[in-house]
Amino acid sequence: MRFTIFQESRKGSRKVNQDRIAYTYSRDTLLLVVADGMGGHAGGEIAAQIAARLFIERFQQEAKPVLKSPLKFLQDSMLRAHAALGSYANQFSMLETPRTTCVACVVQAGHAYWAHVGDSRLYLYRQGGIIGQTKDHSKVQYLVDQGIIGADEVAMHPDRNKIFSCLGGLVDPVIDLGKRTPLRNGDVIVMCSDGLWSVLSKEEMSTWLTSTPILKTAPQMMAEAEKRGGSEGDNLSAIVVRWGPETLTDEPSTTITETLGLGQFETQIDRTLTLTDRKGAQRDLSDDEIEHAIAEIQATIQRYRR
Amino acid sequence: MAVTNQALPGAYQLLNYRIDRQISRGGFSIVYRAFDEMGAPVAIKEYLPSSLVLRTEGDIVRASTAENLTSFRYGMKCFFEEGRALAKINHPNVVRVLNFFRANETVYMVMRYERGRTLQQQIQMRQDQMSERLVRHVFMHLLNGLREVHTHKLLHLDIKPANIYLRTDGTPVLLDFGAARQTLTTNRPKLAPMYTPGFAAPEQYRDPDRLGPWTDVYGVGASMFACLAAFAPQAADARIQEDHLVSAKKIWSGQYSDNVLEVIDWCLRLDPLERPQSVFALQKAIRDIPPKKRKLTFFDALKRKLFSELGA
Repeated sequence: MRFTIFQESRKGSRKVNQDRIAYTYSRDTLLLVVADGMGGHAGGEIAAQIAARLFIERFQQEAKPVLKSPLKFLQDSMLRAHAALGSYANQFSMLETPRTTCVACVVQAGHAYWAHVGDSRLYLYRQGGIIGQTKDHSKVQYLVDQGIIGADEVAMHPDRNKIFSCLGGLVDPVIDLGKRTPLRNGDVIVMCSDGLWSVLSKEEMSTWLTSTPILKTAPQMMAEAEKRGGSEGDNLSAIVVRWGPETLTDEPSTTITETLGLGQFETQIDRTLTLTDRKGAQRDLSDDEIEHAIAEIQATIQRYRR
Repeated sequence: MAVTNQALPGAYQLLNYRIDRQISRGGFSIVYRAFDEMGAPVAIKEYLPSSLVLRTEGDIVRASTAENLTSFRYGMKCFFEEGRALAKINHPNVVRVLNFFRANETVYMVMRYERGRTLQQQIQMRQDQMSERLVRHVFMHLLNGLREVHTHKLLHLDIKPANIYLRTDGTPVLLDFGAARQTLTTNRPKLAPMYTPGFAAPEQYRDPDRLGPWTDVYGVGASMFACLAAFAPQAADARIQEDHLVSAKKIWSGQYSDNVLEVIDWCLRLDPLERPQSVFALQKAIRDIPPKKRKLTFFDALKRKLFSELGA
């Protein structure tokens, strides 16, 4: 695989950054995750961290070096993250389960697959135009669908933060799966939290990202978005991937995965600012970790069976 | 009567295994005999710490408080350690794990069912002393298994006659990994370490950074001592205070070969550095020395009785 990747998360004007972004890839498969922990809910930051890590860890267990079924992987991981948040709250007797949105994307064998819960988004651009995007699980999106408000009113609507599906909620999440989409060289995937898309339209993002080297313009785009957010600005995060060899610059910025051995992974996950890490050392097993441990032991038993 | 965890009833269907009866109950688990779908017997170990009462009826394990759940989940890590450790080892003298799964809100380890009895039962049952031939036979095989364990960078840390199983053909199987791993936990009063006095090495009490193959070597020495004496040697923590342990060579001189007695004394040195440093070194020391046969004299018998009374 060849691609160029950029990721950045900014605090905006908030005290803490409850967004988490991560990517990891094996020789043949790439995974991208954006989770936006829900402020106003206990431990939004923890929730986003747990969700992002769970995706990464499951990927590293299952992408050997490809996922059997990317869509199933995405759906299962969402459900497991949801369950893991519940058991986390249970363990620490939290009154409220930590909650987060999540959008995740797998690229494998030249095709993109994605899934999302809540209002973190994915846009897929080809030659500057949108060819794929997620649809928010939000009240305002519903109003748009019903023709009650226009798409341009979403960003300013008083109820724009109300979402009806999230990980860690009281009811099981609604998970939307994006259909398998073949990628062409030059296609750009953007995944972002609402802090970014609420201040920057998808057309503007296209201008920033599709005709210039992303490693140069994406940071500028983030700076511009943060400036627009101003003193009320939310956390804002983005992962941007340009598929195929970099043709827009001479910089050696293209990631080439063929050099990775089987079973090897490269991972970027933001581990800063975590509330979980301090407790992490003492933290007890989550349901998901139990499942991991059992799967690992079973695999070992099989391997050493004579 | 204290409330205890309830064992699964006979004929209980646990996934594709049918529980037959409880075989044993330890500090952290209950072991059952069960049959798989082919009707073959297996041993199933259920993680269920006795210090936490989690099941007074039915089959589901429930932590009554958040604190209990925390301790329960924490102890589960140790159970996984045992599973991980054993899964990698396929050796005739080490218990074989066949399956590992989650059910009833706890976890289960399925092991090969072995017929026989523990070395502990063997010691207690026998009227006369164990022959040198049997001691050698058991421990030479056991050390092969233990060497395999150490090869996988694992320590057993709870070697004692109750954890050595003798098959009906006399070959030993090393059981129960993981119990001693609990010793590495701190600040978890409900799952306190479980040393077996007499068999645990001194560094297990006070110097966990110095654990090594020599720690298991101490347990081997103590187990051999117990085979001869029918009781455990003085506990290591007490020995550090005031060492009353009489050397094997003094007690059984003449009844067993000097070689075996010297090896026991060597293994039971308080200073870890003065013991055999590896299982291989230990095997080398006891290998190929033919047991000396000598009739028990009147004085030997008297001496033996005297020392065993002092020791007990």
